Amino acid sequence: MTDAITDQIEPRRAPRVGFRAVLRAIIKHKLSRVGIIIIIMLVSMAAFAPWLAPYDPNKQDLYHVLSGPSMEHWLGTDNVGRDLLSRIIYGARVSLMVGVLSTLLSATIGSLIGLVAGYKGGVVDMVVMRITDTFMCIPWLVFVLVLAAALGPGLINIIITLGALGWTGFARIIRGQVLMVRELPYVEAARASGATGRRIMFKHLLPNSVAPIIVASSITLGLFIMVESAAAFFGLGAQPPTASWGKALRTGYAYLEIVPLFSIAPGAMITLAVLAFNFLGDGLRDALDPRLRGEGEKL
Amino acid sequence: MKRYIFRRLLYTIAILFFVSILVFVMVRLLPGDPVEAAAMWNTDLADKTIMAELRERFGLNKPIHVQYIIWLRDFFRGEWGMSLGSGEQVLDMFLDRLPVTLELFVGAVFWSWIIGFPVGIISALRRNTSLDAALTTSAIFGVSIPAFWEGIVFIYIFAVIFRILPPSGFVPFSEDPWQNIRSVIMPTFIMGTQTAGLLARYVRSSLLEVLGQDYIRTARAKGLKERVVIAVHAFKPAMIPVATIIGLGFSGMIGGNFIVEFMFAIPGLGRMGIDAVFARDFPVLQAILVIVALNVLLINLLVDLIYGCLDPRVRLNN
Repeated sequence: MTDAITDQIEPRRAPRVGFRAVLRAIIKHKLSRVGIIIIIMLVSMAAFAPWLAPYDPNKQDLYHVLSGPSMEHWLGTDNVGRDLLSRIIYGARVSLMVGVLSTLLSATIGSLIGLVAGYKGGVVDMVVMRITDTFMCIPWLVFVLVLAAALGPGLINIIITLGALGWTGFARIIRGQVLMVRELPYVEAARASGATGRRIMFKHLLPNSVAPIIVASSITLGLFIMVESAAAFFGLGAQPPTASWGKALRTGYAYLEIVPLFSIAPGAMITLAVLAFNFLGDGLRDALDPRLRGEGEKL
Repeated sequence: MKRYIFRRLLYTIAILFFVSILVFVMVRLLPGDPVEAAAMWNTDLADKTIMAELRERFGLNKPIHVQYIIWLRDFFRGEWGMSLGSGEQVLDMFLDRLPVTLELFVGAVFWSWIIGFPVGIISALRRNTSLDAALTTSAIFGVSIPAFWEGIVFIYIFAVIFRILPPSGFVPFSEDPWQNIRSVIMPTFIMGTQTAGLLARYVRSSLLEVLGQDYIRTARAKGLKERVVIAVHAFKPAMIPVATIIGLGFSGMIGGNFIVEFMFAIPGLGRMGIDAVFARDFPVLQAILVIVALNVLLINLLVDLIYGCLDPRVRLNN
């Protein structure tokens, strides 16, 4: 955001916490425990979709369209008679795939740019920061609508769009972190012993920024799942017949009065997924950020 | 302070310039051009010579940097061009729709403040109780819930089941004040939900941080009533950092505005923007994007200036 805010969120030295300590802390944290359970559930849904789904998600049955919940179809059927439950189970694949891949993409791009900007400083740093400021002036959804429309429909294009837009937040976080550790004695020692710039950046500076990247990734993942389904709501993203929550919600919206579950159920899944990653992000922040530790545990 | 204001202003103008380039390039990334889009609707235009003529008339065949300079020059003159879809002047369209969107934003701010502040304050004062847990969880829920799903659930509950609010549509205030209020209740609430959740979380943590300070202990120790301690000594300083997220909330509201105007068929700027994306209406889309960015920048500038006034460390650091 603006300078005033970045000054507010002072970068701190990443605490030395082991993987186990973090795991223990997030499991102790009530909300993130709930988040982890939901995430495990969603991941298993996506992984075991062919075994869990009672029907083929793409099999149309034009004799039974828009039927409400029944013993055969627990959540009913959609407008071309496909089993809604099966489509929701398969839909987890799209949401998770887009969320994970686009978060990875933007975290990678953002980390590299932030690393270089923070380490080089000067003009490079200034240019990069002004670019991130520029990107941040245009709200997410608007950006994604235009870019996704430009690239055309399709999941890959949504992933590219999200990756191309999401890097700015990561770049800022890493840059702040690098600026802080750059002058520490151990970096100076590395430089004195003849380490190259690349070695210093990747061996000494990057590992120090892992904690904030992990926290930001969790929250970004949730955000991206939400934005992906918003794009699907506007007709961009996954194309038929791929089962996608956002898509189902959009189609179902037209039949809200007849079969409310058609749109409400997939929407509930989207909300659940976003919520789970936000819960986890909260727990991770408390676990990885000693200054806030204690705040969350009392929840 | 003057120096600080000047620097912030200069910065805002520079970013706005970059935004204009970004927007211009972004809009041109859209596949096809407006003439092709128009030809799809109106087959009379689907003729090579007519299409070339139209491109010539709208300046679409000039090199991109020339188009950019012409657009920028005209934009400052208040000539925002003509909608390629409807033929209306973009500035007129904008002014027509502005009051509608403004009303939605006022309503959204109203909801987010009336919910966010009390929830944040109560959960800070009752920290670690089950009430705090419930409120904090609802705040995360408010941040996480996608606007389009909230919209569908609300429409189902209030318009389909109970039939107490209209499912969509917008009635201008001048026509029928009561119907106007009824038509914006759901859209404004949905736009405000996310900010309400953000606000509640920030107010809570900021207030808790202040309440842990030594001077609060002093105030309590000298026998002040708890109410006085909170209202006089704790509340004001706690609100300073909260000011910074108002900008953040605003940016989120714009996204919500696009969704809400689309879902509820409200003839505002968000709807105009979405229609422009799908109709490849370059002039309209460019104007909307620049205005959105300008507003985000201005709100942030304002927040920074207020912040600079309240907290001297900020302006001295810069």
